[in-house]
Amino acid sequence: MSGAWVVVPAYNESEVLGGVVRGLVERGHRVVVVDDGSTDGTAASALASGARVLRHALNRGQGAALQTGIAYALARGAEQVVTFDSDGQHVPEDVEALLAPLQAGRADVVLGSRFIGRSEGVPPIRRMVLAAAVVFTRLASGARVTDTHNGLRAFSRTAAEKIDIRLDRMAHASEILDQIVRHGLRFEEVPVHVRYTAYSRRKGQSSLAALRILADYVVGRWMR
Amino acid sequence: MTSFQWIAFVVLAVPFVLTVTLTVRRTIAPRVGLAWGLLWIAAAVLIARPELTAVLARALGIGRGTDLVFYFAILAMVFGFFSVYVRLRRIESDLTKLVRELALRSAAEPEDQRITRSERKP
Repeated sequence: MSGAWVVVPAYNESEVLGGVVRGLVERGHRVVVVDDGSTDGTAASALASGARVLRHALNRGQGAALQTGIAYALARGAEQVVTFDSDGQHVPEDVEALLAPLQAGRADVVLGSRFIGRSEGVPPIRRMVLAAAVVFTRLASGARVTDTHNGLRAFSRTAAEKIDIRLDRMAHASEILDQIVRHGLRFEEVPVHVRYTAYSRRKGQSSLAALRILADYVVGRWMR
Repeated sequence: MTSFQWIAFVVLAVPFVLTVTLTVRRTIAPRVGLAWGLLWIAAAVLIARPELTAVLARALGIGRGTDLVFYFAILAMVFGFFSVYVRLRRIESDLTKLVRELALRSAAEPEDQRITRSERKP
């Protein structure tokens, strides 16, 4: 078993979470699911599938759940921390590709990108919103990435210790990129699959949510 | 004195007395108490001598005294909303820290439960 811990934030994902966790556990990863105040059987299905489970008593958002999971993984001596979405959009096989640059010492942070990978059925409007997010992020934080809102990332221990997610909701993706640049962490992008299934599209963010995420991010940056 | 002025004085006396009480009891900082106290006195003075608002308005290049009061009321409201918003964000962030702390203290670990419970604390 490697020293990598996979953090999976989950909110009402009992339908698919078991399969996601089993896929990771079968590949020898240690998995910690952060149940972000779910009202369904999310925690039970994660525990039954072999994950450690942290429970947020109240729903605090994906950014908050990620920070909780990262703190836990670090306290348990993680050498690398991977973040992985709970809705089945990511493929467990991609985790090793993410860890490779860390293990080779080439990077402190590795970011998954769906646009240098082969992604199935990215809806056209989503493609446009994400392209706008890439342009905005380059202007705002100077991080030259091709996919700013991909939930699949890997951090070395030292990088994970420096990352401090304060934006509780969805704007944490841009916040993480800001902090990578601010702390001068070396990052690399690797191609990953993102599956747009009927389930992920129903459960995921609507493209209009981008506006709220943008507002959250701008206010967060300014109030920092 | 018109009846409106008398009513306004009575209405203003309530927050004024409250401000003095809270300041004396040190519930609010002396500086904050002074600021609020001055605000209530200023309001009372302008109600007693409404023509003073016109003098102030002209000095600031605003046409009428009522406009001056109107603009300041809007500014005060925007400032009020902003303070509430800042405080709300702080409370939300504190709440997240609390929720996180609770979650970290009660982690459930499938294999540890079968072996030993002494290893559960990192």
